[in-house]
Amino acid sequence: METKFTLNQRYKIICFGLIIIGIAAFVYGYLTNPTEAWANLLLNNYYFLSIAIGASFFMALQYITQSGWSAMFKRVPEAMSSFIPVAAIVMLLIFFGMDHLYHWAHHGAAETDPVIAHKAPYLNIPFFFIRIVIYFSLWMVLTHLLRKFSIQEDLEGGLKYFEKSELYSKIYIFLLGFTFSLASFDWIMSLDVHWFSNIFALKMFVTGFYHGVAMLALIVILLHERGHYKELNSSHMMDFSRYIFMLSILWGYFFFAQFMLIWFSNIPEETIYYAKMWNNGWKALFYVNIVLNWFLPFMILMSKKADRNRQIVKWVAIILIFGQWIDMYIHIFPAITITPVFGFIEIGAFLGFAGLFALVFGYTLSKAAMIPANHPYLEESLYHHVE
Amino acid sequence: MYKTEIRGPLVLGDKTYGRISQDITAPIDRRAPVWWKAAMAVSLLAATFGVIAMYVTVRYGIGTWNVNNSVAWGWEIINFVWWIGIGHAGTAFSIFLLILRQKWRTSINRAAEAMTVFAVMCAAIYPAIHMGRVWLAFYIFPYPNTRGPLWVNFNSPLFWDFIAISAYLLISASFWYFGMVPDFATIRDKTTSKFKKAIYGFFAFGWTGSSKEWLRYEALSYVLGGIAAVLVVSVHSIVSTDFASSVIPGWHATLFPPYFVVGAIFSGFAMVMTLMIIIRKAYSFQDYITDSHLNAIAKILIFVSLIMGTAYGTEVFMSWYSGNEYEMFTFFKNRITGDYSFQFWAMVTCNAIIPQLFWFKKVRKNLTIAFIISLIINVGMWYERFNIVVTSLAKDYLPSSWTTYSPTWVEIGLYIGTLGIFGIGVLFFFKFIPMIAISEVKGVLNAGKTVHKQH
Repeated sequence: METKFTLNQRYKIICFGLIIIGIAAFVYGYLTNPTEAWANLLLNNYYFLSIAIGASFFMALQYITQSGWSAMFKRVPEAMSSFIPVAAIVMLLIFFGMDHLYHWAHHGAAETDPVIAHKAPYLNIPFFFIRIVIYFSLWMVLTHLLRKFSIQEDLEGGLKYFEKSELYSKIYIFLLGFTFSLASFDWIMSLDVHWFSNIFALKMFVTGFYHGVAMLALIVILLHERGHYKELNSSHMMDFSRYIFMLSILWGYFFFAQFMLIWFSNIPEETIYYAKMWNNGWKALFYVNIVLNWFLPFMILMSKKADRNRQIVKWVAIILIFGQWIDMYIHIFPAITITPVFGFIEIGAFLGFAGLFALVFGYTLSKAAMIPANHPYLEESLYHHVE
Repeated sequence: MYKTEIRGPLVLGDKTYGRISQDITAPIDRRAPVWWKAAMAVSLLAATFGVIAMYVTVRYGIGTWNVNNSVAWGWEIINFVWWIGIGHAGTAFSIFLLILRQKWRTSINRAAEAMTVFAVMCAAIYPAIHMGRVWLAFYIFPYPNTRGPLWVNFNSPLFWDFIAISAYLLISASFWYFGMVPDFATIRDKTTSKFKKAIYGFFAFGWTGSSKEWLRYEALSYVLGGIAAVLVVSVHSIVSTDFASSVIPGWHATLFPPYFVVGAIFSGFAMVMTLMIIIRKAYSFQDYITDSHLNAIAKILIFVSLIMGTAYGTEVFMSWYSGNEYEMFTFFKNRITGDYSFQFWAMVTCNAIIPQLFWFKKVRKNLTIAFIISLIINVGMWYERFNIVVTSLAKDYLPSSWTTYSPTWVEIGLYIGTLGIFGIGVLFFFKFIPMIAISEVKGVLNAGKTVHKQH
């Protein structure tokens, strides 16, 4: 049995190919419609960042809840969170597209608009980037430490690194709550600078966690199908399904909470957000979003037979890849364009980021043993069995 | 595969199955201790006060309270939300921890569920009495009637509330009761008193403990558990829409549904901790309610307290970010500062700051401090509801109708009365029902042990 994942030539070529398509799409977009190009850059970077954050949160959650079943494949979320530094660089690149994306960043916007003037102490370009640096440094330091402890545990054994990981997981979750909230306000909510909703941060966090777990399940299943993680059994599948199922409910709950309360109270400053979404061709996406992210996973995984079936879980995760994209699209694009746009730029940018993510992921995964050798819960995970 | 050395033991000492039944049912056969009688007397006194307050309310009307046109909701709604919140932990414990396969739930779920039922009953008193004409309370049922074709307002969150709470009470009471059936059978088989045999035998539904019965029992637990898991979230979400679907500053917040649910779980867990420490101390159940159980509750409390802190922060930040002058006034002039700043800061201190002491192992281990913190959390959660209900109403859009609010003795009496009723319920539970789920604790007795002591 291979203890390490090897990054073969084909994998690398495909990844680089995808990245080239992505760059081509961005350059093409930049020349024809720069606003759309920047919006795609933001969308896809946020997309894969939220998946990486979701995976790292999953990992931290396993420590603080003393969960054993996932110990076997914990190197996968570790590798997924290694995308965070890459996302940091791309997020800093947004600097050159601020004028296209954010209304509040327009020169002189604050002078004519009292709401923007009110928010200026928070929403201004220098502070925006200072915050980006703070968020990413915290996330990078903590995910790096968790990764380091995990690798040292392999070498030295004992409970020392496990206990350290537990402590740092708590700190990470604590900091993530604050920083990711503000980050989602900054990057996504401030696109509609007049609009606000205080469930927004939580909703974005859950979306990231949800799709991070779905992606994690998909990757673990794909690795299993390629001969790794031979111990993966139907009980693991059921636990993955439970996560996806529970998070689909939570996603639907937050979606509904925000929508229903804004619709019910009908305050113009707030309903404008959904009014936009219900006109100019966005409405179909609004419903597709609900179907992909809540209805299908919820209905499919409800049955006891389905939730242990590897193929079904795999396909639900694949549905959610599209679901997450639509969800992000409908969060970002109504603020950017009047009618929905979809074409080479959208497809290319997504493929490019997918390639980049896969490359970073594969590279990190190949650096350490696939199965952590001295994890105290390893046996629980290898012989995981649920009634 | 349960690793005791990492996760902490579930049952201490070398217990046999017989010994567990004996230990847990012992208080039922013993005479009630003095402290129990004293506590019962106090609870009865408090409940009597409550009944008098109820009588005054019904006899003379809502005018005996200090609620007015501006502050139309006062202590009664605060206490209603507070009790409903406490009534959440039972189901949260039983279902969420069951789904998450947290084995330590077994010693605690029975007491938590009992508490749920009593707390929800206390909560239900308030909306009924708040209607003014309590004898017409049945009007809230939507049914074809002779009052003209008069229907309830289906668009009203208050009506959704009624549906959600009655469903929750029904399901959580059934869940609690069916969970007790095997334990009632154990008492029936062990007791020497004929009277007890008859009573517990009646409630045990002729349980024999055959494998077929266990199969059905487990299927039923999962079905009821599944329904209750949805209800536990929906009840408090709907309670939150009572506020959030309005356009009152400080109430209209999209964050409210999850914020209320988390707050409810917070106060409920704190109350579970209070009760578990009492049970452990009063009945010497250290072997079943171990340090690691209380440790786990304390850890959940820190985590939830951080969520509460983040939610408070988000609300304040958003009120500024929104740029809405009314929101800003409510938060900055009428909560953080102003007439009700004490209540605001009491809420923040009790809920977001003091529970952080649980980060220290010494605090988690010291049961006296843990007990005090668990009480402080419930005080803090009361202040949270006060903050929401009163501050937003006292000073709303129209300065000419600004007012202040403080309760009358009748309102205080109602609150003390429900505390008494809750106390009576809990004390009866201590005396007549096995406080720990015997059959479930037996199920985890050998967790983590490789060599079985008896076969």
